[in-house]
Amino acid sequence: MKKQPFLILFILLLTACGQTNNPTTQSIDFQNTSWSDITQKADATTVHIHMWGGDEGINRYIDEWVAPKLKEQYNITLKRTPMDTQNILQKLHSEKRAGKKKGTIDVIWINGENFKNAKNSDLLYGPFRNQLPNFKKYYDQESLAFQYDFGTAVDGYEAPWGKVQFVFQYDSNKIEEPPKSFEELKVWVKDNPGKFTYPNPDDFSGNAFLRHLLYQSADSPESIIEEPFSKQHATKHSEQMWSYLNEIQPHLWREGKHYPSTLSQLDRLYRNGDVWMTMGYNEARAEHMIEDGVFPESTRSFVMESGSIGNTHFLAIPYNSPNKEGAITAINFLLSPNAQLKKLKPTYWGDNTPISIDKLSAEDREKFQSLDRGKTVLPAKKLEESFLPEADSTYVEWLKENWKNEVIRKD
Amino acid sequence: MKSSGKTKIWLLLLPVLLFLLLPAYGLFSALWSSLVHQGSLSLQTYEELFQKEAFWYSLFYSLRITLIATGCSLVIGLLLTRAFYPLINRMSGKLSVWIPMLFPHFVWGYIVLLLFEQSGLFSYMFYHLGVIESRESFPILTNDQNGIGMILTYVGKEVPFVILMLLPVYVQQNHEYKDLVRTLGGGRWAAFKDAEWPWVSPILLESGIILFAFILSAYEVPYLLGSTFPEMISILTYDWFYAGDWSERPLAFAAMISTSILIGIVSWGLYAITNRKRWLFTKGNR
Repeated sequence: MKKQPFLILFILLLTACGQTNNPTTQSIDFQNTSWSDITQKADATTVHIHMWGGDEGINRYIDEWVAPKLKEQYNITLKRTPMDTQNILQKLHSEKRAGKKKGTIDVIWINGENFKNAKNSDLLYGPFRNQLPNFKKYYDQESLAFQYDFGTAVDGYEAPWGKVQFVFQYDSNKIEEPPKSFEELKVWVKDNPGKFTYPNPDDFSGNAFLRHLLYQSADSPESIIEEPFSKQHATKHSEQMWSYLNEIQPHLWREGKHYPSTLSQLDRLYRNGDVWMTMGYNEARAEHMIEDGVFPESTRSFVMESGSIGNTHFLAIPYNSPNKEGAITAINFLLSPNAQLKKLKPTYWGDNTPISIDKLSAEDREKFQSLDRGKTVLPAKKLEESFLPEADSTYVEWLKENWKNEVIRKD
Repeated sequence: MKSSGKTKIWLLLLPVLLFLLLPAYGLFSALWSSLVHQGSLSLQTYEELFQKEAFWYSLFYSLRITLIATGCSLVIGLLLTRAFYPLINRMSGKLSVWIPMLFPHFVWGYIVLLLFEQSGLFSYMFYHLGVIESRESFPILTNDQNGIGMILTYVGKEVPFVILMLLPVYVQQNHEYKDLVRTLGGGRWAAFKDAEWPWVSPILLESGIILFAFILSAYEVPYLLGSTFPEMISILTYDWFYAGDWSERPLAFAAMISTSILIGIVSWGLYAITNRKRWLFTKGNR
């Protein structure tokens, strides 16, 4: 008699394992549902958005501006859960394995390798992008930046939410003239030992720093961007990059024996004055960092003459979202000119917009064009001129692995 | 009657077993994932793992840090308990040991970082007192290759634990044994060795096993205070687990299983020793 509970549990476990073989993706036929039906079904529901929570400005944009507006306009309650994207995917992956049809997440913020993983493992719901009136109306649907995400075809599984470009930040009190090229940076690093470092490429920003060097190391950025990834190709074009990194290593912060493991650690070093430069994948990040008292007032930004990598980031819906109508309505709202303008303002986030300015109404266009993004943000023209697209996401992983062998474990 | 007694034990153990079901399932599924290679059972992943220099380097580095941190915590914990147990046994003393235990490891990690890093509080103080010429000349104690920062964190956090484990032994110890050793002409060392150590050593070993298992596999402290290279085994495993295309996941599972087996062997070995001691000990008592 006493053995029964175990037996039942054992059977439960076995059945849980068994379900992995028939993953079910719930599908709602949005193709034949009108937009007003969708918003009607979304009325009085709760939408759970899971997104990276490491930036106070971004969090406040969602909590203080987006959530009240959504409540007001669509009677949707937006709940934000901070979580690293890879952990969100891990959760979805486990749910998929357990055959859980009703999940807990409705919207995720995603791009790059995470998107590739999610799409390839069927963790996303879609295609849903052509359902969004705002996307159809205000965005350039032909744009390559929305068709491919780090070389992975988007196929309507995510909607563009924002656009960022990689910039360096420096303290203008300590550096009068920031280096213009990687060659000049090398000289500067040697002249100012210990005042520069970059995050470990396991970190996204550190990895982006290396990708700039990789573009520089190849004969032309195009040969990295346009060729599909292959190990031979990558090895051939990276020789200069490794020798550059090894050359500057002894002059880095702590003689290159330790690298900050995250961008926030590098920011902390910059704040303490241990290093004089930091960097990040958001051309406007210095604005709210100064506002929050993290960066000194004298912080300014620069890009290298060889160019600055930019990318688009997206919003997607998990395959098992319990409230797909709500998710679609919320995403459509986040893509609206109004929400994009608020996001662009330095008050909260300062994130650039993927919207097509020329598709906007005259009044909205005026608002976008007259917006002052702050004195630390480079002029739009300068950013546009130096814009370089992202390469295949396989490079991200390849750089992580090889950096350890080429730079760290060498001695 | 005997069988009903047995059933009763099982019944009492039921909650524990239910609770263990989840971790056991996790362990089982990790083992399974590490053994399946391209759809069939094989040891391929382990072969690949054991050929990786990074794995061995990381494992030995982790073992070194773990043994030093565990050893220091045990010795300091023992010395403090011996010296201060009447004080610690009072309410205020107990509180002073309990309160540090409330903070999780990462809080201790941050405290160590704020105090000991080159731009930290101590470096600032020494610089202003004129002890060091510049803040850069303060020794590198965090994110260092010798793992000093990690060891400091673990010692700070685990010493109270060791004290709490040892406290009951010292509070209840029988002083007559010591007096006996003294009467028979034994010195202080003999008194410790014969009248104190037999009571203390099983508890110390037990605490040691707990600390060893915990420190070897913990993630947050190495993440905060470890160096880029060499890295603790948990960091390496995490990197593999979350590698972009999930192709290195089997390696991560194999590394986790290997670490678990190592912990299992060490615990089993040490338990065997304590049990034998305990057995001899109780026998001697009669």
